Amino acid sequence: MKRIFVFALLALSLGATALAREAWVMHFDGDWKIAGGLPEKVMLIGLQGLANRSAPRLYIVHAADFPWEITGPLQDFYQRKHGVHFTELKTADAALAQFARYAKGYVVWDTAVMPTMNVAYTIAGLEDAVVVTEALVLLAEKHGLKKIDDLRGRYTGQTDEQIYTDAKARYWARCSHDKLMLMGGHSGAIRIPGIADWGVREKMFFHDLSANPLHADELALEKKFLAGLNPGGTIFGWHSYAKDTEEQHTTLISTFGLKMEGLQSLPNLSFNCQFTFTPGFKFTNQHHVARDAKLVAEQKVYLSFVQSDGIGIGVWTKPGRGRMPLAWGAIMGWVYFSPAALEYFHESATPGDYFIGGLSGPSYMYPNHIPAARFLGLMKEADDLMKVLDERIFEIMDNSAADGNLGNADLTKETVDRYYAAFPDMIGFINGYGPARTRDLRDTRPLISYDYYIDPRRPREEVTADLNELIALNAKRPYFCLVHVRESNDVNSLVEVIKNLHGPVEVVPLDTFMKLAAGNKTYMTRYQLPTDPKHFKGY
Amino acid sequence: MKRLRSQLFSLCLFLPVVALAADSGFAGRWQLDTKRSTALDGWSTADLVISIDGNIVLFRYEMTWHATKVTAENEAKTNTAIEHPDFFRIDQRHMAVYARPKEAAHVQPAVWLDGEHTLRIEAQVPLETSQGNTTMRLYQEYRLLEGGNELVLIELHSTRSRPLIYQFTKVPAEAAKK
Repeated sequence: MKRIFVFALLALSLGATALAREAWVMHFDGDWKIAGGLPEKVMLIGLQGLANRSAPRLYIVHAADFPWEITGPLQDFYQRKHGVHFTELKTADAALAQFARYAKGYVVWDTAVMPTMNVAYTIAGLEDAVVVTEALVLLAEKHGLKKIDDLRGRYTGQTDEQIYTDAKARYWARCSHDKLMLMGGHSGAIRIPGIADWGVREKMFFHDLSANPLHADELALEKKFLAGLNPGGTIFGWHSYAKDTEEQHTTLISTFGLKMEGLQSLPNLSFNCQFTFTPGFKFTNQHHVARDAKLVAEQKVYLSFVQSDGIGIGVWTKPGRGRMPLAWGAIMGWVYFSPAALEYFHESATPGDYFIGGLSGPSYMYPNHIPAARFLGLMKEADDLMKVLDERIFEIMDNSAADGNLGNADLTKETVDRYYAAFPDMIGFINGYGPARTRDLRDTRPLISYDYYIDPRRPREEVTADLNELIALNAKRPYFCLVHVRESNDVNSLVEVIKNLHGPVEVVPLDTFMKLAAGNKTYMTRYQLPTDPKHFKGY
Repeated sequence: MKRLRSQLFSLCLFLPVVALAADSGFAGRWQLDTKRSTALDGWSTADLVISIDGNIVLFRYEMTWHATKVTAENEAKTNTAIEHPDFFRIDQRHMAVYARPKEAAHVQPAVWLDGEHTLRIEAQVPLETSQGNTTMRLYQEYRLLEGGNELVLIELHSTRSRPLIYQFTKVPAEAAKK
């Protein structure tokens, strides 16, 4: 199976080079206001999904302050490594002139009833429709498109649960049952449906139902969707910030043994999925220790830093990367639908950058809630992906009982047992997002939780004081201090923090850290206890 | 008789202190001025409600973190040391440092200083870290500033070389009732 998987990737890789290399690019500004630039962007992103159905034709470069900072560098990568020649389209009119041929008509949504945007996107995928507001109807008709459906008035005054119940009855049977689009994110004046092209291309059902137990009707309906997905299914997008929490939604999805791929703003998947690795490319991680190495720790403090958030929204493109060893949680699922992005990251890695697998499974999941019957299959998929990516350390995160990035992020002993059984080839595991206290060492494989989380807004002198206090409180040497670097932290400032730490301190790459921690266990074994406080108790 | 006189003398010495402290302006609701304080970590706001009853000083911390609300109460006595379970401090919540819920902090007798404008608290706080159980010696001074509308909490840890300084502003009694 493993071999088939690698061969399939190689075959795709060779096939990719034979594709036509003419494409078009649009540059988006940062106006996502419902009353401003959103309607036109909604139309263009949906159009992108249609245009990219059979070939990679339309790519979008986002503004500098967009959450995903790699759209510009990745365009450059496509030009350099895949020979793509991009022609810029400057207006929506020009985009429709180029791509209206891939649509069969248009569907009208209503900005006063925001769920109609999601229903319209669902229709767009099924009927090859361009998604327009009333103000854009004339533009669509100018390009020969005729009305397929009009949602104005259909859902006025209805609750979200009523709207999506109706949409389910109308469209769900024809939608993908392997992928579901959770088009949530912002509420209020803006929306950023950057991933909608992917949902349209793949004929997904779009919704923003709540996983908050306070919204019992919506939760019950969402459970019906999740139960209706095929085993191994994936939820793309992100939860609605106004309705529930990331913790609630990821817990819910994990309870069904399904995978979460964020965010709702993730752009260009309909384009990216059609490129694979360039011929001859092979992931080669920059390992610092042999798999069977035995290291002896000195009487000092060992620090290791991890940046686990989606790599594309992190500090990768900011100055300072490479000045210190930093482990990066690459998004393993991108092997399937954004391989060029993974190749770009590997190509531009410095000797200080080290890639690790995660998060908790083949994509983002909370393992304490994954059904036992699904666990091994999911982790086999994760293990296969890690072999493709040449990764040896697996990152786990379960915030189901946490309060945002605080509180209980621990793993039960049963969960830890399952990981050790599922990943015999790992050299170690790390756990948490905020700090956590699950720790273990079995044979030569440690499981270490974060001892510190660096909030990017925290003054650097307080970060220094916090780390020095941890060093004082953990008085035995060696002390192994694992630090999580939040995505928007500035690496240069971290270098200054390290200079001001007390005592013999060494910052080491994560694989070295694991091997040192395997050799001298000065940390306590601990798992989540039933008595530990839980912010959210689950479903 | 000699003993009674001595006790009366002691009482005369002690009473003004208690009376002064009770009327000193410490009591009431205080709101943290986050802009002028050491940066909070994992907390959004903090209110401190102080009440004094004879030799007992109660500190009620009302903390928020986004939608989360946490209330915790510490007690100190001016005439004796106490064992205090679940001793609360404004902790740095992104550090893997945890209170040990079943174990009590040893709180030294609280001391009024500087003409009852400062209250000193010292405690040995049991904690759990990744290396196991440990204890932090914690030293706090609550200082009432000129005018009585501002309170400063200066906190030192035996494990931290940088003081934590929290500036509170008095919430007027009428507003505090709401």
